[in-house]
Amino acid sequence: MSAARRLTSTPDRMVGAGLVLVALFAPLIFSEYWISTLLTQMLILGTAAASLIFLSAYGGMVSLAQVAIYGVAGFALGNLTTTGNTKGLNLGWAELPALPVAIGIAVVVALVFGALASRSFGIYFLMITLVFSVIANLFFGQVTKVSGFGGISGIPIPDVISRTAHPERLYFVTLAVALVLYALLRYVARTPFGLTLQGIRDDPVRMSSLGYNVSLHRTLAFGFAGFVAAVAGVLFVWWNAQIAPSTIGLSATIDVLVIAVIGGLFRLEGAWLGALVFVILNNYAQDVSFIGDRFHTLIGVVFLVIVLVSPNGLIGLWERAIAGRRRSEEDVADERRPTELSAAG
Amino acid sequence: MAVRNASTLRALRLVGRALLVLVVVFPVVWVLFIASGTSFGSAVSDPKDFLITLLNGLTAAALYFVVASGFTLIFGLMRVVNMAHGAFFLLGGYIALRLQRSMVGGDSGVGLSSAQVSFAQWILPLVAGAAVVAGVGLLMQQLFLRWNQGEDLRQALITIAVSIILADQMLGIFGGVAQDMSWPASFDKFIDLKVAGVQYTLTRLIILGIGLVIGAGLWFWLKRTRTGMVIRAGVDDREMVSAMGINIQLTFAIAFLVGSALAGIGGVIGGSFASLAPGVDANWLLNSLIVVIIGGMGSLGGAAIGALLLGLTTNFAAAYLPSDYTFYAIIFTFVLLAIVLAVRPLGLFGRPA
Amino acid sequence: MRAARGVGSRPAWLAASLAVAALAAAGCGSSDNSSSSSSKKDSKTTKTASGTPAPASSYPDPQPAVKPRSGGSKSPIKLAIMSECQGAFGSFDNQNMAGAVSALSQFAGAKPKNPNKPKDGFTGGAIGGHPIKLVGVGCGDDTSATVIKETRRLMEQLGADVMVGPLSGDESIAVANYAKQHPDKTFVDGSAGAQDTTLKVQAPNFFRFNGDGAQWNAGLGDIAYNQLGWKKAAVISDDYSFGWTSTAGFIADFCAAGGQITKRVFPPLNTTDYSSFAQQLPSDVDGTFVAVGGAGLIPFLKAYEQAKGPIDSKKFVGNLFWGTPGQFEQLGPRVSGAYIGGAGTAGDLDTPAAKDYANNIIGKWFKTIPPGGDAAPQASSTFTYGYYVNTWGLIKGLEAVKGDLSGGQKKLQAALAKTTLPAPYGEIKLDDNRQAITDVFVQQLYMKDGKLAVKTVAKIPEVDQTFGGTFSASTPAPGRKFPGCEKRSLPWLGKSQPVKVVG
Repeated sequence: MSAARRLTSTPDRMVGAGLVLVALFAPLIFSEYWISTLLTQMLILGTAAASLIFLSAYGGMVSLAQVAIYGVAGFALGNLTTTGNTKGLNLGWAELPALPVAIGIAVVVALVFGALASRSFGIYFLMITLVFSVIANLFFGQVTKVSGFGGISGIPIPDVISRTAHPERLYFVTLAVALVLYALLRYVARTPFGLTLQGIRDDPVRMSSLGYNVSLHRTLAFGFAGFVAAVAGVLFVWWNAQIAPSTIGLSATIDVLVIAVIGGLFRLEGAWLGALVFVILNNYAQDVSFIGDRFHTLIGVVFLVIVLVSPNGLIGLWERAIAGRRRSEEDVADERRPTELSAAG
Repeated sequence: MAVRNASTLRALRLVGRALLVLVVVFPVVWVLFIASGTSFGSAVSDPKDFLITLLNGLTAAALYFVVASGFTLIFGLMRVVNMAHGAFFLLGGYIALRLQRSMVGGDSGVGLSSAQVSFAQWILPLVAGAAVVAGVGLLMQQLFLRWNQGEDLRQALITIAVSIILADQMLGIFGGVAQDMSWPASFDKFIDLKVAGVQYTLTRLIILGIGLVIGAGLWFWLKRTRTGMVIRAGVDDREMVSAMGINIQLTFAIAFLVGSALAGIGGVIGGSFASLAPGVDANWLLNSLIVVIIGGMGSLGGAAIGALLLGLTTNFAAAYLPSDYTFYAIIFTFVLLAIVLAVRPLGLFGRPA
Repeated sequence: MRAARGVGSRPAWLAASLAVAALAAAGCGSSDNSSSSSSKKDSKTTKTASGTPAPASSYPDPQPAVKPRSGGSKSPIKLAIMSECQGAFGSFDNQNMAGAVSALSQFAGAKPKNPNKPKDGFTGGAIGGHPIKLVGVGCGDDTSATVIKETRRLMEQLGADVMVGPLSGDESIAVANYAKQHPDKTFVDGSAGAQDTTLKVQAPNFFRFNGDGAQWNAGLGDIAYNQLGWKKAAVISDDYSFGWTSTAGFIADFCAAGGQITKRVFPPLNTTDYSSFAQQLPSDVDGTFVAVGGAGLIPFLKAYEQAKGPIDSKKFVGNLFWGTPGQFEQLGPRVSGAYIGGAGTAGDLDTPAAKDYANNIIGKWFKTIPPGGDAAPQASSTFTYGYYVNTWGLIKGLEAVKGDLSGGQKKLQAALAKTTLPAPYGEIKLDDNRQAITDVFVQQLYMKDGKLAVKTVAKIPEVDQTFGGTFSASTPAPGRKFPGCEKRSLPWLGKSQPVKVVG
């Protein structure tokens, strides 16, 4: 319940402001590759993971469908804006009018998914959203009209943020979008809607008997998180110029879950922290000579260790560090634990 | 979980019935009498291909059941969603494959023909594969899961991490090329069923037999033995079982051992019936998930029904969708699944924890 | 129930120490990077002021080239190789590298670091006085998502000038599209055979010295029609672009010769149970072409056997998946006798060039190629050969411009377009889309000493990508329904030549 309040502790704010400053001046500090590839990718994946964390932290819903929704937006944009490609519908729209349509399609899909899943709780919710993710992957793999297994390549990017011409512009756009969405997610969590959602997370039966429509709230929350994921999907397509069913396959779905867990499933900031760790590991692990080709093993081990040591992710470690002895044990362990999935049923 | 009011409940029931008609009755009528534009035509006009498709569905279901029963056993007792189940499947298959090829002798990188393989060279690798996987499963449970009891998400995440590591190590050790176990020569023949002139392969009937034996064995174990009774009691009320002085940890360990061994056995059969390669683990994890989600997680009978539905749907969809739509057979299966879950969030036989 | 407190317990400490180890490992990675990101800056300076001698420290290789060419102090040529170490083709990593490193050793004075592990790369090597520096080897997994990520890492982080690769179809479409957006870098294919890569994408800086999946099956339909006497055939293929492309080659050839295709079956990728698809193959056809590959081929063959009995090798023809060394051995004796399309290679060809390639080039620079064992027999794998001819093509192009990469590499690209290779299995030249026109081979499986083996039965000369106009930039891409079945004249129809083979 007190998730929103806790975010305002002073060390958090200082560190947060510091990090945003670093992010703003990153192009002066890091190489072009870091800016245009690693950090941009980190912001996109982080935004997708943030939509998962929002559902998990405030709605008690650990969703594996966020990547699928992100993909729906990406494929929609790809189909709307490409021309003369051998794959997809090649509708040839301009980028800007296509943008809201692509996001809108993804949000509608998210609402349908949400409505179907709204009566499932806990681990069952995880399972049904996994099924959605598989459906999306198979849909784009098999329906060759809109994509096919090889995906859509050569998706146009608005000239102003073209990655090749202005690598830092797309980074700043992505950064700005991430900050706005972060603020929006936090804002929504504090609205009456958000508070109701948290009530449902803690005790759906009581909220229902108080007259709240539990399914509707959960569906709307899923749709809203779907919007955030869809924006990430659009940014991904602009960054990558290409999207394929493998982009939203099982391993990609698991990747975003891994990111959210590494960061910490109970605080939005964890999304980008987890994404940073993940992107760096993914990029550099294979350069380590004794790991080489087996770098997936390293990723697995790091993931395992974080899950074992700190169920609340790296943010959880940070909180424990600053909380020191001042905070009582109960406070750390009891609150904001979206991981209490066994509460379902 | 009574979080819905009466009117939506009534509406949902109506929608549910309508869907039931759509999902069950229409396909049956289609396959039996219409099936226009399909490869075989309707069952009435081509009973032979219908019967073969039916047997294909049943035998595939038996294998789905073997693998998924291990998954559902572990979940039913411990609430652990073992996302490493697919990796266990593949590991069991690879161990048995290596053993079979070294038993037969010759170049280990060359596929065998069934004429070279005796019954012992198939059954011993199966036992070995199941035993190794049972050990790995037990190790994972004791090292990582035991002290996280009751935290089902965290346990699921741990098993995801284990599956990532196992999959990558298997790629390193066993390579990326598809390989297969060989059936023994004595299995590799056709049986005349004396119905509609159908000759059917013995190997698939043996898979069906193994499925039935394992199903019956599990049923007997759970319903008729002391360990089984403890397990069933543990599913209902873990604390009470512990309070009665029964060593629930031992029971957990046994259940994990058996559940993992079933994944291993499934892997050996799967490796004999299809092949072993990177990615097969993810496919079989998904298959198991579908089966237990449809049937209801933790229910053995549910797993049997789920396996039956999955086996029949995939085989009939591939053969009895109009030719231009067979590509969508897989999607069809998953849409069916989404419908089941939307109507019954806990699956057909699931019940709240 | 709330186990967040498990932190104090012993397993948690165990895990924590593991964490330290893992993070240390990751730390190694990033410190590794600091050196590579500094080399990235080097690449910037050399690019802007090309011709300026780079500082000597940017040559980490202490050994000079085997055949030192003039100078050695010119700016390096930064080479990246996009290989595959995950996914269905993950075990062909070392074949890819053996092909590329052998070409560099044979034609540019490099030397393999380890004759038993091609993946270790090479030392030395120079073209026109410009030393060749291998900046990195990419690890693909058969998906376009990963190949783009890895291509970026190689080209942008590690600052490569030229890249060889990737391995497989859809990956190459993604890389060709990437190439289009980066016109001042140059790309040559590895062993990928998607048709769109060159025919449709037409990136001016992407070159392919190997055939595509359709070309590789040229002549196969002719053999099925005229030698096996098929009049009506069915096809079964993986339901994605490589399967369609491979099938398109067979259909175009078979129908051109006069055959009819009566049934097309496309099981989805990752199908577990092929029995219903096998059951659908009609029994009233004379034969079936199979383009199910990867993890699906063995399950399909087994499902077929279990549905219809033993495989009659006169009623089946296959594509390259039936004959790729390191893979086809797994198929077992069941397919002995079947004709296959191959992948533009013929390991048993009794010509000096072919023998020389296996024994004195691949077999000279490498003793073994893991995990397949002896190097020479793996020379004819399309994954070795593809990387070999493409790297060789790149070297010839670089030689023609004396290693000069200035002017956005336009001189190099112009030279590459004109490059012809007197390659081991016949001459290779490029068409207007920078796609190889090459000889391809029809092969046959047989049993040799109790093991399945491949022998080459015919050579189809100078096969080009268009199949006499069946495929062009304006036709649809090969798909479930395209191409249709048309009798037409193909340039190579009736020109297949018998070949002399060893053994």
